[in-house]
Formats: sequence, C-alpha cells, structure tokens
Amino acid sequence: MPGFRDWFRIPEKFKILLILPVQIVMNFTAIIPFALVWYIGMTNWSPQFVGGDWWRADFIGPYNFVLAVRDELFLNAIARTLLISAICVPTEFLLGFTLAYVLSGNFLGKRFFTLVAVVPMMVVPAAGGWIFYLMFIETGPVNGLLSIVTGHKVMIPFMNDPFWAMIAIMLADIWQWTPFIFLIMTAALLGLPPEPINAAYILGATKWYTFRRVVLPMLKRPMMIAVILRAIESLKIFDYPYMMTRGGPGYATQTITMNLYESGFKYLKYGLTNAQCLIIFISCIFIAWYAVKPLRAAQRGG
Amino acid sequence: MDKHIENLLYTAVRYIFALGVAFFSLFPIYWMFTMSIKPPIEWASPDIHWWPWYPTASNYLMLFFHKNTLLEWGVIKPWEISVPETAVKAIMNSLILSISGTALSLFIGTFAAYAMSRYRAGGDYMFLTFRMLPPIAILMPIVMWLSTLRLLDTHIGVILLYGLFPVPFVIWLMRSFFDDLPREIDEAAIMDGCTPATTFIKVILPLVRGGLAVTALFIFILNWSDLIVALLVTYRTAITIPVQIGLYYSDIGHLYGIMSALGIFAVIPTLAFGLAIQKYLVRGLTFGAIKG
Repeated sequence: MPGFRDWFRIPEKFKILLILPVQIVMNFTAIIPFALVWYIGMTNWSPQFVGGDWWRADFIGPYNFVLAVRDELFLNAIARTLLISAICVPTEFLLGFTLAYVLSGNFLGKRFFTLVAVVPMMVVPAAGGWIFYLMFIETGPVNGLLSIVTGHKVMIPFMNDPFWAMIAIMLADIWQWTPFIFLIMTAALLGLPPEPINAAYILGATKWYTFRRVVLPMLKRPMMIAVILRAIESLKIFDYPYMMTRGGPGYATQTITMNLYESGFKYLKYGLTNAQCLIIFISCIFIAWYAVKPLRAAQRGG
Repeated sequence: MDKHIENLLYTAVRYIFALGVAFFSLFPIYWMFTMSIKPPIEWASPDIHWWPWYPTASNYLMLFFHKNTLLEWGVIKPWEISVPETAVKAIMNSLILSISGTALSLFIGTFAAYAMSRYRAGGDYMFLTFRMLPPIAILMPIVMWLSTLRLLDTHIGVILLYGLFPVPFVIWLMRSFFDDLPREIDEAAIMDGCTPATTFIKVILPLVRGGLAVTALFIFILNWSDLIVALLVTYRTAITIPVQIGLYYSDIGHLYGIMSALGIFAVIPTLAFGLAIQKYLVRGLTFGAIKG
C-alpha cells in the first residue's frame, strides 16, 4: 500500500496527519457547540418539556436576545464581574509586582520566601473558595482577629452581608492569584540584562530613577501579558462565589458564570441562557482577539 | 555610614514584607488543616481555637469508611455528625478522570504542537483565543450534546472534556519545548534516512521527554482543579473532589471538618506537582510567551 505509507513519508501529508486529531477535537469543542448555541438561543427549548428533544424545539427567532439584554440579573452579574476584575486585577498586579521586586535581590531565605509566595496559586480554586468561607464565618479567624484587635467579641456574619461577601470573594481571588503576577514578574526580572541597570547606577542615577526609567520600560511587555491574562481569567470567576456564597445573599455576589449556571441549570431557561452565552461568547472573542496580540509579539520575538 | 543604615533599613523592610506575605499565603491553608483535624464541637465554637484542642482523625476516616464501620470501631460516637456517603468514589474519580484526560490531551496536542513548530501548520492562535473564552459559554451546548449521546455523568464524557479543554495549553507548552530543539536535529535525522514520522517518534520525542513530563503535570493540575466542567456534566457516578466538597455543603448543613479534610486531599497533589514544575509554570501559564 504505497498510498498509506506516503502519509508518513511526505512532509506535507505527515503534517496533515499530525493536525488531524486536533481538527476533530475542534469540531467537538468549538464548532458544534457554537452552532448549537445559536440554534438553541433561537428556540424556547427547555429540558422540562417532556419528550421534547432539542432538535424539535419551537423556533422563536431573536426573541431570547431581546430578553437577554433586558434581563436585569444578567446585566447586574456582568457589572459585578467587571467590578471584581477592576478591583482585583490592579491590586494583584501591584502586590505581585512589588513582591517580585522586593524578593528579586539576593538575601538569606530567598528560595524559601519565593516558594511560600507561590503556594496559594497551587491550591485548587474550589478548595481556595472553601478556605475563605472558613476564614469569614462568624466564628472564623477573621472575626477572631478582629476580636483580639478591638478587645471585645466580634461576630460579623460576613457572608450574609452583600458588601462584605463581595469583599471576601475579592480577597480570595487576590490571595490566590497574586502569585500568578509574582511568578511572571519574577521571571521577567530575572531575564533583564544587567548592563543597562549597572550603567545607570554608574552614571549616578538613584535607585528610584533607575527603576522608573530603565527597569520599567524593559518590563512593559511581560507586565502587559500578566495583566491581560489575569484580567481574562478573572472574568471567568466562578469557584469562589460558588463555594463561598452560592451567589448570595440574594443575588449580591452573582458573577457572569454563576448567573448563567443558575439560569441554565437551576431554572432551566435554556433558550434564554444560550442567548446570553452567545453574547458572552462573542464579546469574549473580541476581547481575546486583542489580548492575543501582545502574546503573539512575545512568542514571535522570543 | 549613611549607606550602611540605608541598606539595613532596606533589608528590614524586605524581611517584614516577605514575612507578611508568607503569613498571608500560608495562614488560610493552615486554618483549613486545623479545621480538618478538629472534632465537630470545635468547628463553630464561639471561642476561636487557633489550634485544635482535641485533634482527631475522624474527619479523614469519614472520607474513606462508612458511618457504621466507624461506629463499630468506636472511632466516632453515635451522636457525632457523620456523612451518609464516603468520598472514596470522588477521590478515585478525580484520579482516573484527571489522569486519563491528561493522557488524551497530551496525545492530541503533542502531534499538533510538533506540526506547528516544524511544519508551520496554522491555527495556533485560534486555539489560544478559544482558551480565553469562559468555559460556561461553551459548556451549555456541550452538556446538551453529551446528553444526546447519553454520555452525561459517565467517565467517558468527562474524560473527553478533560482531554479537549486543555489542548491549547498542551499545544503551546509543547510547542515551546519543540522550538527549543534546534532544527538541525531534524535535518540530520532526515539525512540519515529517517522519514518525517520516524524522525518525530524516534528522534524528537525522546529529546522532549522532560518537556512532556512538565506538560503532563501542568495539565494534570488544570484538570484536577477543575470545578465547573465536573459540576455541569456529572451528578452521581462521575463526580470529582471539587464537586464533592460542594455536596457536603448542601446535604446536612455545613460539615466543616469533613469538607476541610477533603480540601486537604484536593490540595496535596496540586501543591506537590506545582512546586515540582515551578520553574516551568510561567512558561505554561503564559502559553510559552515568557520563558521562566
């Protein structure tokens, strides 16, 4: 069978063979779901319809999309997720970068502190959410610490308060993902060429001036990559609200993913949820498209 | 003299900062650990116990043995809270599903990564874009076609998803390892009479063994940490550890100790593997853009 052997011998054919499994996979994870999400978004299908398979659902046109953009819970969830992102990402960046810079010099115990600083990132997010639930319960250590500081017994039910529940979730996110920025920035700081920095010192620049005018410009690209990747990930936030508050009290901590999860799998509004999924999907493709650009530049430039 | 004091001050600030961060990052984990060895009376005691006063292993035992067995052994008393179901299934599922999913995604992704590194096959940035989408947006229809294929809540269904979702990571991480190998190796192999296929299997793959191991651990961590996929496509037979932690939440009030014990189980492998591949984490997390 010469034709069969050619697949392993001719580079052009071998290339197709190598790519084939991933092509098949793409059909299942991206193309079929994408088609399905359009279709279901245009119907009023729900698993509650007994005996009604989804391919026999009633077609109701773009009505779901109108409902989707009028759905207050959904819009609130988007705003809330953006708020979490807007607070957590800069905080994580500042903390992580400062930490990376402080730990970048040579000192006793550097390896130990670097290791310890990375630990939170390795914790499974679901377990991380659970840990922070334990921290913020009425009899938890946060209240315990407040009791010690203030001198009398404090038992604030953080998770029952819309404001404090959000703060708790943000703290969990910051705890877990500051190491992400720290790791990237440590790697970037290590990769800096020492010559320009030494030259600046020799020419009489102060530490701060050297940092601002020499080090920072060289770190621009890694900084952008770290922030972009973190921002994209933070839009997906789900594990902490799920483990800590289940979106409550009321809907006070419902993020996008939490909202879609609830309206889809708890209230079984499949048509509406699929329409909302599609909106999220398309807007995220646009975000991701721009986010990929600095990554692409870094990957090409090495 | 001034310089000396300044240096001393800088060192002091550095240590204070480092110690603060060490406390902030370790204390929550320490707290979960103490909760996991506390008996029920200490779980929500109003006087906070900073360390367990009556340490017990019963929380861990409850993960593995049935209530009646523990009562027989006298490990727990009848009035103590115990769980109706053990977590053995979830732990086994987590292991089986994460490992098989990792193997599947490595199998699929490594070939593609080689093609993209050596043959300039396109589509690499499309995968990157897909990785950035929130999983829920794509999971909804996936759940529907899994249910149509009768694969919902089966091991095969979850393995498929755990094999497919991390593929972009495999592609980009393996690609960076392939790119590290000079192209001359391929050319030399071809000159010596290898076909493209034998070059890849006999020459290149053995050279990236280390990279494969790093990628495997990285993908294992991703799969092991996953909550949302397992939450949506499993409900009884194929539940994983993160889902099980959430189940204890709703079944009989909040089983703090048992959930924490399971949490410790969830954390151990990721912590061990993560610290083992720490050097390559940056490369993995940034899709090979920054090489740590």
